[in-house]
Amino acid sequence: MSFLERVDQSIRRSPVFRSIFRNPYPNDERSRAYAVMNNVFLHLHPVRVRQHAVKFAYTFCLGGLSFFLFLVLTVTGVYLMFFYAPTANQAYTDILRIQSEVPFGLLTRNIHRWAAHLMVFFVFLHMMRVFYHGAYKPPREFNWVVGVVLLFLTLFLSFTGYLLPWDQIAYWAITIGSNMAGYAPLFNTPSKILLLAGLEVSGNTLLRFYVLHIMVFPLVGAIFMAVHFWRIRKDGGISGPL
Amino acid sequence: MTDTKSPPERRVVLPVDPTRRTEIDKQRVPMSARPYRLLALVKQDAVVRVQKEPDDTVMTWPHLLAIEFLAAAAMSVFLLFMGLIVNAPLEELANPNVTPEVAKAPWYFLGLQELLAYFHPTVAGALVPAFVLVGAALIPFVDRANPAAVRPSERKTAVVLFTLFCGLGLMVTFIGIFFRGPGYSFILPWVDGFFFTL
Ligand code: HEM
Repeated sequence: MSFLERVDQSIRRSPVFRSIFRNPYPNDERSRAYAVMNNVFLHLHPVRVRQHAVKFAYTFCLGGLSFFLFLVLTVTGVYLMFFYAPTANQAYTDILRIQSEVPFGLLTRNIHRWAAHLMVFFVFLHMMRVFYHGAYKPPREFNWVVGVVLLFLTLFLSFTGYLLPWDQIAYWAITIGSNMAGYAPLFNTPSKILLLAGLEVSGNTLLRFYVLHIMVFPLVGAIFMAVHFWRIRKDGGISGPL
Repeated sequence: MTDTKSPPERRVVLPVDPTRRTEIDKQRVPMSARPYRLLALVKQDAVVRVQKEPDDTVMTWPHLLAIEFLAAAAMSVFLLFMGLIVNAPLEELANPNVTPEVAKAPWYFLGLQELLAYFHPTVAGALVPAFVLVGAALIPFVDRANPAAVRPSERKTAVVLFTLFCGLGLMVTFIGIFFRGPGYSFILPWVDGFFFTL
């Protein structure tokens, strides 16, 4: 037995490892079933899935990748939060400092930005995939509605994040975007005050968008995602085959 | 010969007070005497479906998890690559007094901004987005046709309408992204260049 194999074995046989995983590394059907059932992360899945649902060309992994992007955004976002203060005086210089001084700051910001755009894009594509498969039909009507809420949340997660660099792109994109809320009949002014914390984009807006972006929308989104995933199983797994 | 099997597990079943036993209680079997337990109640018509074991399944581990892992890994590599070669845009400090030449909403709202060029703001800015969101949520309740018809060829109306709608949305978004320049004027990207930041 080579040295590595022995280290590997002693790790697997250690009480700590066994207390965490309970079952040995799954190599046969029985232990693979247990691995899925006994693991909080894998438990999202049933032990067996229908064959067509595993094919890449059925889901294109779009929902799964939307979720993965959400996780990436959470991790990179938390790192960025360490170096960012949501005030009109400081936000922009903090971004400059993140890019020039913070270790991996530029890379983290880039990844956060591209993953955010990609997530919006993938959620749209996922919705189209679901539509073309008729997967909103009974018994999945409610999960479609949950999905629409998730789409809305994703858009506003991205929109609120867009303001945070507090540069000209951010300021004017949000000004234009939120002007649209001001075109609503009857409640135009109230809806603008609610959104912007004032009649135009200001430091108050920055704080409001920040809180929505790092706390409210991710939290609500995570809750709706939990319902979304739960419902997929309760509705009998992935729809199809076509 | 003695029985080599270990004695059956014994559990204490508290007897129900006889005065409180109802008809239902008399029919009940103590938990310990039952090798099964109640998992779910199924309606009569659904029994058939429950009993029909689907035999087209594969193990989640490894078949599904392998694909999920690969997709996540590929996405990670792609993001790392993008993050290394393309920098996120950043312009000068926000200045409420200086409107930049090109001021566009984020791309997913650009279709709406494009509509503002054609319609009354109330229509483009409020009614259309409200219609899109509410309409999207209502799709399953409007399309009550045969639930078994899932192939696009079996539900042509729904597919055509949805495709038309997506095509329209895509078109106005594309115009907003590529064919609008300074002051939101109409431009040709191959003549005037791109005016768009992600
Ligand atoms: C944050 C956004 C979202 C996430 C993370 C997400 C995630 C997922 C995942 C992982 C699945 C499993 C199958 C697959 O990957 O395609 C799924 C299925 C589904 N999603 Fe989403 N989703 C999101 C948004 C949406 C939206 C916008 C809609 C529609 C309006 C939607 C409707 C559905 C439906 C109906 C299913 C069941 C599909 C089937 O059974 O074939 N989801 N979602």
